[in-house]
Amino acid sequence: MTAQRVGTREEWLAARTALLEREKALTRRSDELARERQELPWVPVEKEYRFETDDGEKTLPELFDGRSQLLVYHFMFGPAYDAGCPTCSAAADTFDGGVVHMNQRDVTFLCISRAPLEKLQAYKRRMGWSFPWVSSLGTDFNFDFGVSFTEQQQREGAEYNYHPVRLMSILEAGVAADAIEALATDVGTDIAGYLTELPGLSSFALEDGAVYHTYSTYARGGEFVLGFYPFLDRVPKGRDEGEPPENWIRRHDEYADA
Amino acid sequence: MPEHAVGTREEWLAARKQLLEREKELTRRSDELARERQELPWVPVEKEYRFETDDGEKTLPELFDGRSQLLVYHFMFGPSVEGWPEIGCPGCSYTADSLDVAVEHLPHRDVTFLAVSRAPLGNLDAYKRRMGWSFPWVSYGDSDFNLDFAVFTEEGRRTGKGFNFDTPKHADIDLRNEELHGLSAFALEDGVVHHTYSTYDRGTDALNATWQLLDRAPKGRGDDFEGWPRRRFEYPGRSA
Repeated sequence: MTAQRVGTREEWLAARTALLEREKALTRRSDELARERQELPWVPVEKEYRFETDDGEKTLPELFDGRSQLLVYHFMFGPAYDAGCPTCSAAADTFDGGVVHMNQRDVTFLCISRAPLEKLQAYKRRMGWSFPWVSSLGTDFNFDFGVSFTEQQQREGAEYNYHPVRLMSILEAGVAADAIEALATDVGTDIAGYLTELPGLSSFALEDGAVYHTYSTYARGGEFVLGFYPFLDRVPKGRDEGEPPENWIRRHDEYADA
Repeated sequence: MPEHAVGTREEWLAARKQLLEREKELTRRSDELARERQELPWVPVEKEYRFETDDGEKTLPELFDGRSQLLVYHFMFGPSVEGWPEIGCPGCSYTADSLDVAVEHLPHRDVTFLAVSRAPLGNLDAYKRRMGWSFPWVSYGDSDFNLDFAVFTEEGRRTGKGFNFDTPKHADIDLRNEELHGLSAFALEDGVVHHTYSTYDRGTDALNATWQLLDRAPKGRGDDFEGWPRRRFEYPGRSA
């Protein structure tokens, strides 16, 4: 028999209705933060970046593709990787279908990674995605927006998610080191090669030919792109990932029964 | 210069770090509500329902497909939906575009996900092919399934009133005639199905990551929803 309390419909309804008020408060708070994001000052992007795209070399203003807003998902696929990060791949499973709808809201959405364009193209074909994906290899773009790290930064310290981090220090934690090593092997590199990249999402506005950086989010701030978590937050047993959380996410074609 | 306030990197960073604290607080609050959902009592489902599926007629326990948890997305595809009987609701289609491949990860957490609608199975299958989706989709036909998991009192089932736990803004909706979208969760234990959770209206916002992405674009999700969202093939210049 279940450890869970079984109740009557009336008991459930009373508890559910009380929870609804707290859920509505969360939705209102989420709307409020969305407004606050729009109030952040815009910072002009003065550096020139060049990206390799399916349609040849492009500048940052050109990536807007005629729209006034650009959303960039920083997909972890470093120069040393042979395949994209499995968790970013699960995020891509989520946002791929939303791109056409965002485009209709004057928003261009794309992924940027440091791996050479051919690797990105081959992996995208394997996974069956259609979002645009461009390479920033050889530019400072990923470093300037806080998602790529040199080996020196990994050892001596860098900033991620608005906080100082020493990426190599997480390896001292033992369990994490095993998990990171497994991920590194999975993408075809070693720990130092894997930790050159971390995930994030950045937003830009284009006005009168000038590009402005408006927002960036990292770590759990970007968790919403893993579209299955909001569903798991609503099932009887929740995420149920254990402590430390089990690393269960695989590429959609790599699950045992896929 | 844009109408929007332009600032230095330092000004932006100071404001962004403050906002980060509020964002973290929201994440923690969201985690807390997820825990509270798990504490809701489970209600045994005593009525028997039959669904038309790609593998023939199935009961509710059979829909779990060997797993212990079931998530049902109530996709609006019935006589009250514009485009009936060929095409499903535009808003649900927008959400389906976001969840389609993402839900393929759920079976690996002991969760079976499927969509249920009123339309006959053949119509669901045809629309699903047209949209290129792969999630399982079953028909509840003329059964009370949707009504039973939209209103939870005898009065509600008799009058069709009380959508979204009696939220006043929906007081006029009659669920006997109108389909609305939502998500319901069920647990299967020792052969018995329990209903654990249902959410509707903006409670389903979080299930569609595209909303959250737009909430991070410079101009946000906007407030003009004329002609958006639509089914993909209905946007100008698109056929699929």
